Formats: sequence, structure tokens, C-alpha cells
Amino acid sequence: MTVIAEPGIPEPGIPEPESPPVAPGRELLRLENLQVHFPIRGGVMDMITRHPRGYVRAVDGIDLTINQGEILGLVGESGSGKTTTGRVVVKLTRQTGGRVVFDGQDVSDLWGTGKLRAYRRRVQLIFQDPYETLNPKHTIAEFVREPLEVNGIGTSRQDREQRILAALETAGLRPAADFAARFPHELSGGQRQRVVIAGALVMDPDLVVADEPVSMLDVSIRTELLRLMLDLRRERGLTYLFITHDLSVAWVLADRIAVMYLGRIMEIGPAERVIRMPRNPYTQALVSVSPSPDPPEPGERAARTILVGETPDAAHVPPGCRFHPRCPLVFDRCRVDEPPLFDVGGGQQAACWLAEDGPGAQLGNARRFDAPEG
Amino acid sequence: MTVDLAIRGRRQWPMPKQADPAAPLLRVEDLSVRFRMPNGSVKAVDGVSFGLDDGEALGIAGESGCGKTTTALSLVKLLPANGYIKGGRVELFGIDLVPKTELQIARYRWREISIVFQGAMNALNPVQRIGDQIAEPIEIRLGQPRESSRKRAGELLELVGIPRERVASYPHELSGGMRQRAMIAMALACDPAIVIGDEPTTALDVMVQAQILQLLERLRRDLGLSLILITHDLSVIAETCDRVMIMYAGRVAEEGQVRRVFSAPRHPYTQKLLSSFPNVRTDRRTLEVIPGMPPDLRNPPPGCRFAPRCPSAMPVCSEVVPPEVRFADGVRVACHLYPTSDVTSDPPGARPAAPTAAGEPAP
Repeated sequence: MTVIAEPGIPEPGIPEPESPPVAPGRELLRLENLQVHFPIRGGVMDMITRHPRGYVRAVDGIDLTINQGEILGLVGESGSGKTTTGRVVVKLTRQTGGRVVFDGQDVSDLWGTGKLRAYRRRVQLIFQDPYETLNPKHTIAEFVREPLEVNGIGTSRQDREQRILAALETAGLRPAADFAARFPHELSGGQRQRVVIAGALVMDPDLVVADEPVSMLDVSIRTELLRLMLDLRRERGLTYLFITHDLSVAWVLADRIAVMYLGRIMEIGPAERVIRMPRNPYTQALVSVSPSPDPPEPGERAARTILVGETPDAAHVPPGCRFHPRCPLVFDRCRVDEPPLFDVGGGQQAACWLAEDGPGAQLGNARRFDAPEG
Repeated sequence: MTVDLAIRGRRQWPMPKQADPAAPLLRVEDLSVRFRMPNGSVKAVDGVSFGLDDGEALGIAGESGCGKTTTALSLVKLLPANGYIKGGRVELFGIDLVPKTELQIARYRWREISIVFQGAMNALNPVQRIGDQIAEPIEIRLGQPRESSRKRAGELLELVGIPRERVASYPHELSGGMRQRAMIAMALACDPAIVIGDEPTTALDVMVQAQILQLLERLRRDLGLSLILITHDLSVIAETCDRVMIMYAGRVAEEGQVRRVFSAPRHPYTQKLLSSFPNVRTDRRTLEVIPGMPPDLRNPPPGCRFAPRCPSAMPVCSEVVPPEVRFADGVRVACHLYPTSDVTSDPPGARPAAPTAAGEPAP
């Protein structure tokens, strides 16, 4: 699956207007039919027979590519498999099927090899909760130093200290020497998250997997960090897999957005197209309820698609299209056959039988979100 | 000030004895709250005034540490041990709650003012059945027999969209959205005059959040609920509230009808806050960053507390506390950009096509 950047898709909104557009790079990461099925084991009998009762299909066959210097927003609700996907990429969870290709090399099975350490140097994870990620008894410098020591990076103590200070500086903690000696409780939430980012940057990674890095933070601090992440991409050519439940954060940050539901990608494409012209009813519903500080206009509430119920349990994935029990546009075929991702033009793909006819097809009676002008 | 007696007439329980039937539902005047700290006193809330009418929904917004939760908790004196109300009045039906003792104020909690706490997972007792938890305030506060309390718990669950049989479930058996609904049912248990929601939808998925907001909207309509919603999420307020109060560093920055404040924010802080909000309904524009950090409230700056971060700061801002100016459309703003003499002038960027023309008399 190759995605061609379409001309005319504007850059994400946060960087200064004069920031140069990121050149479309080569493919950095590719996931091929990735699957993560967790066995459900109940009692003693299951342990003896070694037959699990079933499987939680957390990730159920996804294909994804991220190009060098690109920000891919992976959006989904709880239970969509977005975090598990991120954990597979950083090798914290082992896939049960499919392949992970990084920089042209198959990295699906690195366990127990020296290559794993080298891979982890190049792919770093930023966690959601800066309060839990940092050890309260360690200084900031100790937190940032740890990955260097574990990986044996740096020729001397002095060299390491240099790297630590440089990473803190890059993450916007200035003066770095002042922050290095502090403890986490002396920092604000935004500063803590910057420390976590510095801990990832010190390894000089190529790919950063950011799992909800801003969802715990206040809006103004959130914007600051999103801007920092964009600056780092511009200055260092960093590539991001940005995992979030918040479509509007993906909207301002990501070049492309992939929407996950119950272990599958429902829609993927350039951010402009996925938000403005969603073709999958699930994406349409998500966009229609996406938070906005504009008080609803008369009639806008009625035009919203609030889905009933919650995402089903991934141990009991519905047959056919997995979204069909909650889909407002469900028809017979959806209950039987699972739709593949159909190409709908402009690098956008949607897993929905209504998108089968490709770019020319009308949305039928699909309710579409129309953006107000301006 | 209109008093909607129809809503008060729906009360299932008698009004408190000293209540003035003609008084407004809630009036907070010049409320100040302090926290004792080892190295000084934190002025968490400093001279905050607002009101709430029957059937109205007020949103209190601001960043962490702006005093929004403290303001709400001090209404029923649920402050942490080191917090105390330094001054001001909190009048419910004309009764000042501030001088009440712990024993006296307890009678107002749940019955008159209830709170839906943040993080339903932590607020519910994990080893008690949902039904029993909802029935408890009915038994204790209203002295109802156990059987009828349980029955009412079932009715309340149904009201918030959970099947009645779920009274026998434990919190871990419910999803996040259902737990939040159970919390709302509990807050409604004693048919209170005011429900306070402290970040009621934070940490929920967008779709579940939309469902909860829809529920609150329905409850407001059906029960004539009076609501105070505390959140850092401006979209939640846009969705559910009539009025919004923006707080910064323990003070009110701007307060007024949601539609007016959000479509033409006057205080620079409100403007910054709104333009730093990611929004799929707008272009992928440059999101604003508010430089700097909120002040240390042990030692707040003199004058306007936002002045050190304000793009429009003038010399007067760091010297004189800005007075609150009330505009003709009822919005009040504490900012030196709006001298008391020309309150009638339209704010910069005001949309002329606002639903009703600015000019109606202030309430």
C-alpha cells in the first residue's frame, strides 16, 4: 500500500506559516496484515489443556505505512487496538501474525537478538501520563541518563552529560543545567511531559511513537507540546506515529489520519480528506461529535450522529463488518461480509461497502459532515 | 432576576426552613478561599461572584489551578483540611451557607447541592453494589426506609439509561460510560436543587462523552435541573451550558451567555483560550500558545493576574486590579482594555449577526 501525498493538502495548522513543507520521504515503517490476538485463559483446566477459551482480537489485520518525516495520527476509542498497535511497533507486545518492516528490514522477530536493542534505539515511545512515567526519586538528569546507560551510548561521563543537556534544551527545558538537577515534583505537568520527550530524544530516534502524549494536559500546554513536536520534525526530520482518541488533535497535527475500530482500520487518508470528506459512517459519526467550542447552531444537534452503546468487546467481534451493529447505514451485505479498504481517491481509503464504487460514488443517504465556510 | 417557581414547585422535599421563596437559587458574592501551606497561604479563589437561576446551566472553565474546582467545593464546604473560606457569601435560597457548621452544612449536601465527581472509577466504592451506593444517600439524608430507597435507586438508573437490573452490579462490571451514568444517578438521588459536575466527561471516549452530554441535556429539560459544570474543556460548556464563567488564577476573567462569550470573547485570556482549542470545524489554522505559566498564588502579581502573559498588557495592568465591567449584553469582563466609561461600545470582533442584538438590558 503506497500513499501518494496529494498536492494542495495544506500543512498542519500549528507551525508558523513560513515553515518549509516536509519533503515526502521514503517509507520508514510498514505494517503488513498485523495481528495481535491475546488468548483468554480462565481456570486450571485451561492451563492444563493449554487451549485458550478464545481470543481477544486486539489488532485484527491492519496495513499501514509511515514515510520518513511524516506524522500519522492513529485515532480510535478505547478498545480500538490503537495502543496495542503502538506497543507492537516499539516491541513491547509481540504480534501473533503479520509483519513489521522498518527502514526496509523485516523487524517482526527481533526477540532475543542483538538487533532488538539497535531497533529500540531508533524507535522511541512517549507515554500518556507524565506523572507515572517519571520516577519521583530520580532527578531529571537521571531519568534522561538511564536510556544512555542501558544502551551503552556515549563515550564518557562528560559526553553523556552533554547529550542529556542537549536533549533537555531541545525539549524546551531551558536553562537545561537548572532543570537537570530537579525532581519531578518540582515541575509542572507540561514540563514533565517535556522531560519525557527529552528522554526519547536523547536516543536520537528516527521514529517516535507517541501514545496520547497530550491528553492529560491543559489546552494551552497541549498546544505548546504539539508545536514542540512539529518543530522537532522540522529540525530533525522526526517521524511520528501519533496515537490519540481525539480527532481534533490529530486534525491539527497529522499529515494523514487512520481511524481504528475494534482492531481494524476503518478509514485512512490525508487529514483534510478524512475530516472533511469521511466515507466510513464510523468516521462520519466521530467527526460529527468531535468537540468544538462553537455553541451548536439550531439544527446542528439533530444532524449529529451519536452512536448508541459502546465499542464491543474485542473477544466477541461481530461477524461481517465489525461496525455493523452500531452503524446507522447498515444494510444486508454488512452483516455477512467484512469490507476491505476501498480506494476512494486522493490517497484515501475506507473500509465500507458504501465506498466500494470508489471515488466517483456518491455517499448515498450517508450523512455527511459539512464544514462551515471560513 | 426571575425565580422560576414552577421548577421549585416540582421539589419532592420541603425547602429548608429559613429559605426565602423569592430569593434567587444561588448567589455567590466576593468568595475568597485560602489554602494554608508550609510556606505561605495560597489565594486559590479571590473575590469571585456569580449567580445561578432555577433551571440554568453555568459552566466554569479555566486551566488547572485556576480555582474552578475549589470554587465549586466551597459551595458545600467540601474543601480539603488545609482550605478555608476567607470571606464572602454563598447564598442558597437566601440562606448564607458560609457560617454553617459541619453538622449543619451536611444537611445541604446531596439534598440541596450534589456533586458528580471527576473520575467515576475512583469515586465509586468498588466493593459495594451500584444500587446500594445510590440508595445510601436516600436512606441517610432523607431517612427513607431501605426498601423504597432501593426501589428509587432502580428508577434512577433507568432515568440515566442503565437497565434497572444493574442495581446488583459492582462498579467493575460496568463500562466507563455506565459508571459515569451511575454517578449522575447518585447525584440525582435526593432530588437536589443544584447538581455540580466536576469534569463529568473527562477521560471518556468522544462518543461516550457525546452520550453523557446528551443525557445531561435531557435531564435538564425533563427535571428542570440547575447545573454547574466545571471543566477545562470549552466544548463541553458550549454544548451544555447557558452561561460560562472563565476563571484565571482564582479570579473571574469573563462571564456571560455562552454564545456571546464564545463568539466574541473580550478578555485576552478568553481569546487565547478559545484560539488554542483544536477544532475540526475550523481550518487547520495556527493554534495559539499562551506564553508563560499561571502565577504562583502564594504570591500573585499585583494588578491583573494575567498581565505577565497578556499580549495586550499596558502599564496600568501590572499595578491596578481591573474592575469588572458589565456590557449591555450582560457579559462582564475584568480587563483594563474596557474602561468603565465606554461599556456600551461593541467589543473588537463582535459578530453583528449575533442571535439577539447586544443591547438588551442586563439581568
